[in-house]
Amino acid sequence: MRDETTLTNHLMDDTDDWGEKRRTVLDADELILNMGPQHPSTHGVLRVILKLDGEKILGTECVIGYLHRGVEKIGEHRTYTQFAPYVDRMDYVAAVSNGLGYCEAVEKLLNVEAPPRAQYIRVIMAELQRIASHQVWLGTHALDIGAMTPLFYTFRDREEILKIFEKYCGARLTTHMFRIGGCQYETYDGFEKEVKRFCDFVEPKIGEYEALLTTNRIWVERTKGIGILNGDDCKALGVTGPVLRAAGVKWDLRRAQPYEAYSKFEFDIPVGEHGDTYDRYLVRMKEMYQSLRIIRQAIDNIPEGPIMAKVPKIIKPAVGEVYHSIEAPKGELGYFIASDGSTQPYRMRIRPPSFVNLQGLDKMVRGMLMADVVAVIGTLDIVLGEVDR
Amino acid sequence: MLDQLTSYLHTQGLTPGAANSQLWALIYILVVFGGVSGFVMVINWGERKMLAHFQIRLGPMRVGPHGLLQPIADALKLFTKEDVIPEGADKGIFWAAPVWVVLTGFTTLLVVPFGLSHAVTDMNIGILYMLGISSLGVLGIIMAGWASNSHFPLLGSLRASAQMVSYEVAMGLAIVSAILMTSFTEGWNGTGTLSMIQIVEAQRIQGIWFAFKFFPLGFIAFVIFAIAMVAETNRSPFDLPEAESELVAGFHTEYSGLRWSLFMLAEYAGMVAVSSIATTLWLGGWMRPFPNLLSGPSWDLAFSLVPALLVLFLAGVTIRQALKMPTHPALRANKIGMLILGLIIAGVAFILFLPPVFHRTTDILWFCLKIGFFMYLYIWYRATFPRYRFDQLMRVGWKVLLPLALGVLIVTGIVGLRAEIWAWSVQVAAAIATWARGLFA
Amino acid sequence: MVGTGCGRDSNVGPGAIRMTLPKLARKFLLLDLLKGLSVTFKYQHPKEIYTEQYPLERPWIAERYRGLPRLNVNPETGETLCIACDLCAKACPEQLIVVQSERDPVTKRKVLTNYTYDVSRCMFCGLCEEACSTDALELSQDYEIAQFEREGLILDRKRLESGPETKVYER
Repeated sequence: MRDETTLTNHLMDDTDDWGEKRRTVLDADELILNMGPQHPSTHGVLRVILKLDGEKILGTECVIGYLHRGVEKIGEHRTYTQFAPYVDRMDYVAAVSNGLGYCEAVEKLLNVEAPPRAQYIRVIMAELQRIASHQVWLGTHALDIGAMTPLFYTFRDREEILKIFEKYCGARLTTHMFRIGGCQYETYDGFEKEVKRFCDFVEPKIGEYEALLTTNRIWVERTKGIGILNGDDCKALGVTGPVLRAAGVKWDLRRAQPYEAYSKFEFDIPVGEHGDTYDRYLVRMKEMYQSLRIIRQAIDNIPEGPIMAKVPKIIKPAVGEVYHSIEAPKGELGYFIASDGSTQPYRMRIRPPSFVNLQGLDKMVRGMLMADVVAVIGTLDIVLGEVDR
Repeated sequence: MLDQLTSYLHTQGLTPGAANSQLWALIYILVVFGGVSGFVMVINWGERKMLAHFQIRLGPMRVGPHGLLQPIADALKLFTKEDVIPEGADKGIFWAAPVWVVLTGFTTLLVVPFGLSHAVTDMNIGILYMLGISSLGVLGIIMAGWASNSHFPLLGSLRASAQMVSYEVAMGLAIVSAILMTSFTEGWNGTGTLSMIQIVEAQRIQGIWFAFKFFPLGFIAFVIFAIAMVAETNRSPFDLPEAESELVAGFHTEYSGLRWSLFMLAEYAGMVAVSSIATTLWLGGWMRPFPNLLSGPSWDLAFSLVPALLVLFLAGVTIRQALKMPTHPALRANKIGMLILGLIIAGVAFILFLPPVFHRTTDILWFCLKIGFFMYLYIWYRATFPRYRFDQLMRVGWKVLLPLALGVLIVTGIVGLRAEIWAWSVQVAAAIATWARGLFA
Repeated sequence: MVGTGCGRDSNVGPGAIRMTLPKLARKFLLLDLLKGLSVTFKYQHPKEIYTEQYPLERPWIAERYRGLPRLNVNPETGETLCIACDLCAKACPEQLIVVQSERDPVTKRKVLTNYTYDVSRCMFCGLCEEACSTDALELSQDYEIAQFEREGLILDRKRLESGPETKVYER
């Protein structure tokens, strides 16, 4: 208890974040519990301090920073090309999306556009990464709620995606796939066939995950009505991604601000109704199907041509700043780059979706039971590498 | 001495307890307790391997061929661990809690009938005894949580005990409906029985397993018991009190090494105990399947050879896996060991084919097969289902299973006594008719 | 199954009675649970096992895999292909390549004397491989790079040229 009082004076303030007046002294039957940095279910090193009344949660506070590596500071001391590998390490589950956002932001700063072939390849890889990221989410979320086997099934299917990545760029996780101006690697022989075979392979598997979970009464009871975050709260907090869409707001950056070749493809934006955990689950499952749809459309129509635009060898953008965001699997991933005309950026600010989504934890978890905290953290789909950078 | 040794063997149809033979009772106790302890090691290996196969992976493979020596390695590790007692813990109760749980867990096995005369003893309140002793086991869990002097284990133990108590009610009602079915045996004059062996005898006389009697009533009672027994033993999907990914880590958090292994032993022994209750009450105990449909001496012979055939199949699988192992010098010991194991199992299978042996052991083997089936169900549930939250768990126990069990009990009574009820209602109707005629006359 | 509050609404109540008959039957017969059970049952078959028993079975590695670096030599003459242009050192984000060269007085070209690569800080990003103007520096498919001491991870020219030595376990 001593640690909590010195570090969590915030909880002892007069008013809490939501403007409610708080008592300055803990009530007799209130308990402060520390869900520490080492915990099997916090998806990384996240410390959540819970204020409990018996089993009901009265308030939470997240303490982050255990994985802070100073990525933004590193960005100020690397050239634009050299910084690209560091970006993969932020959201290490969806490295391709990170790289995509960064390259697009710098391309926007340089005012170049990737050639069409590179754009198609980027879309295919980003959507494959979306499926892989959602599979990791599904496996870990199910594991937290108690179902052990979907973890192994999703990771097995994710292996196929990682094999494609490995054949394409040489690495499975920290892919460093794209360069500023296009793609570095040409597609390998048999790429189209393999991607098509993967799409046919994984579609029934997603159906299997659904058979295991979607109608399972235990799953439904554990997730329906848990962690509700309605549309207005989402917009007020800046929460994006599947969390926002499950709350009923049809906002997807691939549609709202199309980047790459997304405007050429037909796909639906799955939207939920209540904004609870079950809706987020359904939205992400449907997103996987939609990603398959995009991949199938893209893989049949990759145009021929160069894969790299005309970008100078030493990248020295003009003085200026740019903010560019993409729809990463977890939400809106944004890059703000301020350039002072030299080869190294003046300020590299990254807007991680998990960091902003994590703010919603407090609102979602109030009034829930303790066992729901892990479900809610799982459904937010946070990656601490992104939250802390 | 020789008289004592042979006296029991001459008494047919009596358990050592009933035959007043203390020596044989002692032998049976040692066999049952040792057998269950050995079985716990086997099921530990089996759980890891089967769970792994459900999860498309291999499970232990390195310690001994196909991980067969893994339980021994785990046991050795647990025994040599440092014995940590938390500061401020009540040392006496801390020591006593695992002992209590193991004690009650194993004491329930005294009346489990592996065959017509193969039980340690046969009390005429056998099933009541088993229920009572397993309720006593809850005390050990509370003691464990209390003695740990830490609020996580305390909360976990209170939740575990609340869960066990609430599902015992549903279990009890399901058991009562099965007991009710025993009273419908011809020749018993409407008296039921609580004795485990007599319950199986009732199924034999009626010629039907109680799970299929008055279909679907018996089956519903069986399913209710099957669900309640999973909750009783704190297994998935009702394993919130001992789940690792939840905040409260369970009543055995502060126990390490040998003490923790005692809790595990008690949990598996409890699983065996409730599985044996389910087997005895609904699945016909030691009887072979289809006692009514496929009756006759040839069918009897065929079915009594089935366990021996299964053991032979097991030996075949073992030998085949041994031959399939790669011929690497480091794995030579594994390969030879597994071949020897396969040959031993084949030897056992051949022994089981001999008539004097299988006449005596086929009951025991069928009973063990049915218990194995329940163990497989336990592991299957653990692999498939997510976990219930605690309040949902209690809701299922009190609001779903209890009314259902009560309903099944009432309907079973009505259906079983339908002849009497019909006769009684005819009488009542006749009486009312005469009274009404008297009014108008 | 309505959940409008904080998830603790009971499933039994007026809402349950309003359920349609087929839905009630499905709920009673535990069909959803049986569906899940059948999925896991199907995966028990040994052919579904996805485990790769390392080190008996080595994983398959792609050709473009970015593993341990290697300095290539001309197979005929045995001379190094590196022309000591120092582009790899400039490209590396972590600046862990040190290229030491001296100018040959006769040909006036730079000749490589020593080449140090610190794998302990390497990200395996591949920028050095891309920057190399010849075919000299290449990231091989070696992934078994664990050493017992930190100094073992600082590769010198000899180690880089000899390439990976994998221990092969016979089946």
